Amino acid sequence: MKRKTVNILTYIFLISICLIWMFPMIYGLTTSFKSQTDIMSVGFKLLPVNWILDNYVKVITNTSSAPILKWFLNSMVISISHSFLVIIIVSLASYGYTRMEFRGRDILFYIILGISMFPGVVNLIPSYKIVQKLGWINTPLSVIVPGLAGVGNVFLVRQFMMDIPRVYDESARIDGASDFFIYFKIILPLVRPVLIVVGLFSFIGSWNDFLWPSIVINDVSKLPITAGLQLLQDIYGNYVMIGQLMASAVIAMIPTTLLFIFAQKYFMESLNIGAGIK
Amino acid sequence: MKKNKLNKYFFIGPHLILFIVFIVVPTVYGIYISFTNWNLISKPVWVGLDNFRTILFDQNSTFYFQLRNGLKNTLYFVLITVPFQILIPLIIAVIMSNKDIKFKGLFQSILYLPGLISVSASALIWLLVVNPRLGLQNVFGSTTVWTVSEKHAWMLIAFMSLWGAIGGNLVIYRSAINAVPQDLYEAADLDGASRVRKFISITLPSIRFPLVYTIVMSTAAAFNVYAQPLMTTNGGPEEKTTVLMMYIRRLAFGTGESIAGMASAMALILGLVILIISSLQFILFYSSSKGVEVK
Repeated sequence: MKRKTVNILTYIFLISICLIWMFPMIYGLTTSFKSQTDIMSVGFKLLPVNWILDNYVKVITNTSSAPILKWFLNSMVISISHSFLVIIIVSLASYGYTRMEFRGRDILFYIILGISMFPGVVNLIPSYKIVQKLGWINTPLSVIVPGLAGVGNVFLVRQFMMDIPRVYDESARIDGASDFFIYFKIILPLVRPVLIVVGLFSFIGSWNDFLWPSIVINDVSKLPITAGLQLLQDIYGNYVMIGQLMASAVIAMIPTTLLFIFAQKYFMESLNIGAGIK
Repeated sequence: MKKNKLNKYFFIGPHLILFIVFIVVPTVYGIYISFTNWNLISKPVWVGLDNFRTILFDQNSTFYFQLRNGLKNTLYFVLITVPFQILIPLIIAVIMSNKDIKFKGLFQSILYLPGLISVSASALIWLLVVNPRLGLQNVFGSTTVWTVSEKHAWMLIAFMSLWGAIGGNLVIYRSAINAVPQDLYEAADLDGASRVRKFISITLPSIRFPLVYTIVMSTAAAFNVYAQPLMTTNGGPEEKTTVLMMYIRRLAFGTGESIAGMASAMALILGLVILIISSLQFILFYSSSKGVEVK
């Protein structure tokens, strides 16, 4: 085949697959601006007859059965605290596993890594019991804290810290710097990019988590938004008030989508990082 | 020396405590309670292998049916999604490696974005896409109700899952392909190798580590499927799309008294299946890729 033909075919392929991939989101978005009469008519129409904000007003003003703004704020509190705590705990642990000298350090790390490979489905039920014993049921702590125990991020950040030449900390140590100073002033700035990536993915993972919050939170007003959406099909008439369902879905997608648009660079780098190591 | 010891706990301590409390203890306890009768409230009562005997061999038991049906549907989900989760992004990545193509970043971002949307939000959207009245099928004059036909219910679950799952793998494959030394391809060009030949002999062996990584991770993740069928079909029609995680969740945390012991036994079986399959994949791919060493 001629090179030009190949290129044209490639563009056609890529553009069509992108259109297919964008379609559900765009249709959901445009439908969220349709009136109920518009929605009750039969047939596929991409664009609303009149663009209206009614659906958004209705879902936001429903503060009893589906308090979506409350859910949104709950999710914000949960996801932001979770990702900050991940960054702190993971960077501390990675420093410990790369810079502190003690017997069995690496063995300890590999044991932890090995145990963490065991499928998480087994610890689901006892985790509930532990969270309950701690008195965390129906509190944000129940969804913020357990996820901090993961080992994957420690593995990733540890790899980065191992690559930082020892000269940096040795010279600081000779000048009398403490471990905390070295950690905070020397190592942290050097691993900042990978910590941002870890934080972003933790935010998104926490925002989109579904099964766990639906187990440990059963008070409707305490739910994060992703778990809250599960209740909507019943509340908005067994998939009849489609405009309101779409408006709710759009509200739930805003933060992760915005984060992606503004921090795209980090997302793409991160996956390269991950693939490179493993 | 003393100071150093305290410091060590300061750094690894917080994570180590969380790890023990939220991973080690619940994993060990999860294995233990699968050999007990437990309602999540009173003390677990040791019953030995009874739970496993019931779910594996007692044909009159609902739990027996649930494990079979749940595992079968979970496996079915894995089989209809994972191969495409690997192949589609791999094909796109290869096509995107064409140097003349512009806007690659944009294409990639569009394909990646659905992966950042929660399953519950994307389920609401996909129910609209296949809606009998408003859905895309109306263009073709079809009024199929997707959630009541087994075939369509699975198609909906699979489409929706693939929609969100290819972006991450695509980015990994693209960066892996970009890292393949160009002189390998130039040498192959001199030998007059075809595109397909170059893909099989150069690209595939060069990206085998990320490839194995994505296969293992995608498979393990697919075995944990829960939200997609729950949100779209709620397991229907007639429990034909009820996956094992849904039964586990229902038995342990459903309405009525919790049957956490039985649910844990099912969870342990699912965990072991995941563990065995991941290990097999690793062994299989690594031993088969040893022969094709790339210079």
